[in-house]
Amino acid sequence: MKGTLEVMIMSGVEDGLPLNYSIENGDGELTHEGQRWVIRIGRREDSDVCLRNDTFVSRVHAYIIWERERWWLEDNNSTNGTYVANGDLDARVQGTIPINPGDLFRIGHTWMRIQPVTE
Amino acid sequence: MPNIPLRDILIIARQESVQMRHHYIGVEHLFLALLQIQGGLLSLILEKNGLSAEYVADTLRRKMERGSSQRLWVGIPYTPRAEVVLDIANDVMLDNGNDEVTERDLLHAIFIEHDSLPIRVFQSMKANLVALKEAVLTLTPSNEAILSSTAITFGEAFDRNANIPREHLFVLRKMFASHASIRIERNLTGFRREALIVVVTPIQADNREDAPVVAKIDQKDSILDEVQRYETYVRSILPLQTARLEENPTVPDASELAGVKYSLVANVGDIPQDLRQRTRTHGTTGLGRLLQHELYEQFRKTWWQQKRAYRFQVWKEYDWLLPPILTLDYVPDREPPPNAHHIKIPFNRPKLKSRLKDEIQFGDIVVLENFTVQKVDRQQDLLKLGIGYGSEADKRAYRMDVRGVHLARSSFYRGEVIERIIGRVMRTRNDVLLQAVRDLQPPFDPRTRWVTLGEHRLPNPLLAYEDLLDRHLNGSMSRIHGDLHLGNILIGPNNRIWLIDFGNTRDGHTLFDWANLEISLLGDALMPSLGDEWKTVEEVLDSLIWLNSDLPMPSMNDEVFTAIASITAVREVVHECLTTKDNWYEYFVALTLCALRAVTWDSMSLGGRRLMFMVAGLALLELNRKYLNTPSHTPPIDEGELTDHLPTPVSGDGSRLTSSGSGTGSRAALPATAPLNPEPQETPERALGEDEKLLLLQAIEPAPPESTELSKPVDPDEPPPTPKEPIP
Repeated sequence: MKGTLEVMIMSGVEDGLPLNYSIENGDGELTHEGQRWVIRIGRREDSDVCLRNDTFVSRVHAYIIWERERWWLEDNNSTNGTYVANGDLDARVQGTIPINPGDLFRIGHTWMRIQPVTE
Repeated sequence: MPNIPLRDILIIARQESVQMRHHYIGVEHLFLALLQIQGGLLSLILEKNGLSAEYVADTLRRKMERGSSQRLWVGIPYTPRAEVVLDIANDVMLDNGNDEVTERDLLHAIFIEHDSLPIRVFQSMKANLVALKEAVLTLTPSNEAILSSTAITFGEAFDRNANIPREHLFVLRKMFASHASIRIERNLTGFRREALIVVVTPIQADNREDAPVVAKIDQKDSILDEVQRYETYVRSILPLQTARLEENPTVPDASELAGVKYSLVANVGDIPQDLRQRTRTHGTTGLGRLLQHELYEQFRKTWWQQKRAYRFQVWKEYDWLLPPILTLDYVPDREPPPNAHHIKIPFNRPKLKSRLKDEIQFGDIVVLENFTVQKVDRQQDLLKLGIGYGSEADKRAYRMDVRGVHLARSSFYRGEVIERIIGRVMRTRNDVLLQAVRDLQPPFDPRTRWVTLGEHRLPNPLLAYEDLLDRHLNGSMSRIHGDLHLGNILIGPNNRIWLIDFGNTRDGHTLFDWANLEISLLGDALMPSLGDEWKTVEEVLDSLIWLNSDLPMPSMNDEVFTAIASITAVREVVHECLTTKDNWYEYFVALTLCALRAVTWDSMSLGGRRLMFMVAGLALLELNRKYLNTPSHTPPIDEGELTDHLPTPVSGDGSRLTSSGSGTGSRAALPATAPLNPEPQETPERALGEDEKLLLLQAIEPAPPESTELSKPVDPDEPPPTPKEPIP
C-alpha cells in the first residue's frame, strides 16, 4: 500500500503549518495486514500530529485513518472532543466518521484539515 | 492616498492578540488591525459591498476563541500563515516599486493567500470575494486615513538620530489621546535604562498649544513604582514650582510599557532641556551656581536639610549600587545536589560574607531561598533578586541575578518572594568589577593593593569596598532624590530648575544625592569633552587632589577649571549637609562607592569610567587621611589580611578571566585559574616613604570586627555618637 497525507493546521499559533506523512517514511501505523493506515493526533510528544500548544487536546486525542479507499476521522474518547464545522455550530464527532480533503475539523481548540499533498 | 505603514498596523495587531490572550500574531489579528483604521481602505471596501467594519470585526472575533491564560511559547510569534501573508505583501510592495508595505499591500496579500480565517468568515457570510479583491486594487479612500487620533510631529530640537521604538510611540499616543496632535520637542538624556523621556507640546484640535510636559515611558512596574514613590515621598513636599507627576499613569493592557507625565508649570513654548544637554553647549560654566543656588536652595528645606540622626552600616545604603553579588544561570527546579550552597533569608551577614569569599565558586549550585523579585527584565531574560521589598535602599541589597529563567513563560512579579530558586554560579561581584576595570585598559594591575597613575598612588578600591560596606557611619537621613544626575535636572528659561525621575526617591543617606552629582559632573559633563586618555585622567586627578588639600593650585585648562568650580559648589552643599561639622568621612565613603558603581556603566564614556576608578581611589585616600588625622595610633598593615581581600575571580564567562587567580589558599582547587603571586607587585611603603602625603596611603583600614546590631560598633575613625542619638 502506498499512501501520503498532508494535514494543514488552520488556527492558533501554528495556523498555516503543513504537516506531511507517508507510509514509505514509516509515518503512522499500518495494521490489518497493511490495509489500515492510522495517524495519531494528540498532545503527546510522539503523536504524529503533535499539538503541544493547545491545552485542550488530550494526550491521544483522535485518529485520521485511511481504510477502504477513503479517509476517516475517529475520536479517542477525548475530554474536550473532536468537532467538524457545521454551519455556525460545530458538531461533535462520535466514534468514527468519514471525512474528505478540504473538510475542516477541530481537535481541542485547533482547527485543521486534510488536503491533497502539495508537490 | 492612504498610507498607513505596516509597522503601525502591527502594533494594533499585537494589541488585539494580547487582549484575546493569544500571544501570537495571525492573519486574523492583522485583519482586525486593518479594520480599525478609521477611513481606511478596508472600511471603505466593506462599505461599498454593504458590510460594516464593526459587523465583520464582531463576526471574526466570535470565530476566534479567547486563548487560555497559560502561555506555552516565548514572545509573540507570527503564525506560519501570517509569515506567508507578510512575504506576499512584501513582494506586492516590491512589484509596485515602493519601499514600505502599506495597508493596501497587506490586504492584497490576504486575498492572494485566500485561506485564512478572515477569508473563511467572508465565505460564511456569502460575501463576493472576487468583488472585494477587485476593490482592494481600485478603491482609494478620499480622506486621509487615520489610525490613531493623535498625530505626532517632531520639533527642531529633537535628535533625529534617536529612533523611538513603535511600542513607545503607541503608549505616547495613548497618553495624549485627548489631544489632536503632539509635537515631540526634545528627547532628554536623563535615563540609563530603556526608558524614553521626552518633552512634548500637546496640541488641541483647534491648534492651540498647551504648555510643554515631560513624558516618560518605561517598563510597567518601574512606572507604577515611581508613581508610588512620588505619592509617598515627593508630592506633599515639593516646592510650588516644580515638576509634578500627573495623577494617573497610562497603563495600556496590551503593552509591557506604561507612561507618566510630569507637568512643569511652564509657559507655552518654554522648552526645558536637561543639564547634561546644557553642558554640551555651555560646558560646565555656571553649573555650580545653578546647583547650589537654584537646586539646593529650592529643595533643601524639605529634602536634604531634614538630617535626622541615622547611624547605619554602610552596606544598608550602598550595597545595592554595586553589581550583583552572584550572577546565576537558572537550573530548572529539581532537587539540588547535596553539596549545593543554600543562601536563605534571613542570614548572618559576616557568615555569608566569608562563605561567599571562601566557599562559593564558579560552577557551584546555589539555592536561593526567600529572595524577593526586584525586577523582571524580560528583554535580557534576567531575574533580579534582592533581600526585600520596599523603597529603602537595604531592601535592594544583596542583589542576585538569575539568567535564563524563560521569563516570557513565567509569571514572576516585582515584590514576589521566591521560596526557592536554584542556579549555577557564573559570576561574582568581584568578577564583574574586575572585568569592568580591565576593560578600561589600565596602566596598572587592578589586582594589586596600590594603583599607580603617573605620580599618583592610590589605594585600590577593588580591594577595599568589601570592608567599606561593613563599616558603621554616623550619618543623617533625609528625603533624597535617589538618582540625582545632570540628566534628571531640567532647566528652563530664567534658569528655572525642575527635577524629574522619582523612581529611586526615598528616605536615605543625605549625602548620597550629592556624591552622585559629583560623579555626574565629572563623568557625564567634564570627561566627554576632554577625551579618554589616561593622561587626561591624570590631569583631572591633579585638580581633584588639589580640591581636597591645601596645596597650591596646579595649572589646569579652562574646562577643568570650571568643572572643578562646580564641584566646589557641590562640596559647599555637602559641607552644609555633613552630620558632624567638618567631618567628611561619610561623604568620602559615599563618593567611593558611587564612583566604583559608575566604573561599570556602559553609558559613560571610557574616559569617564577611567576617571571614576581613580576618583574612587582618591576618595579612599581621603578617608584614610582623615583616619590618620585622628589622634589614635596608626595600625600596622597586615599583608596577609590585605591580600585576603583580593577580588577572587571565579573565571565566569569562559576564558576571559583565566589569567587572574586566587589570593587565598582555601580556593586553590579553583578550576581554570592560574595561581596568583600572593605578594603585592609593588612595595609602595618604601617608594612613598619620603612623601608625607603619600605616607597616608598605608592606612587602608582593616575592617572593624564584625558586630551585630546590638553591640556597640567599633570604628576608631568615627566620632562617638552624639548624646541625643540613641545607640541601638
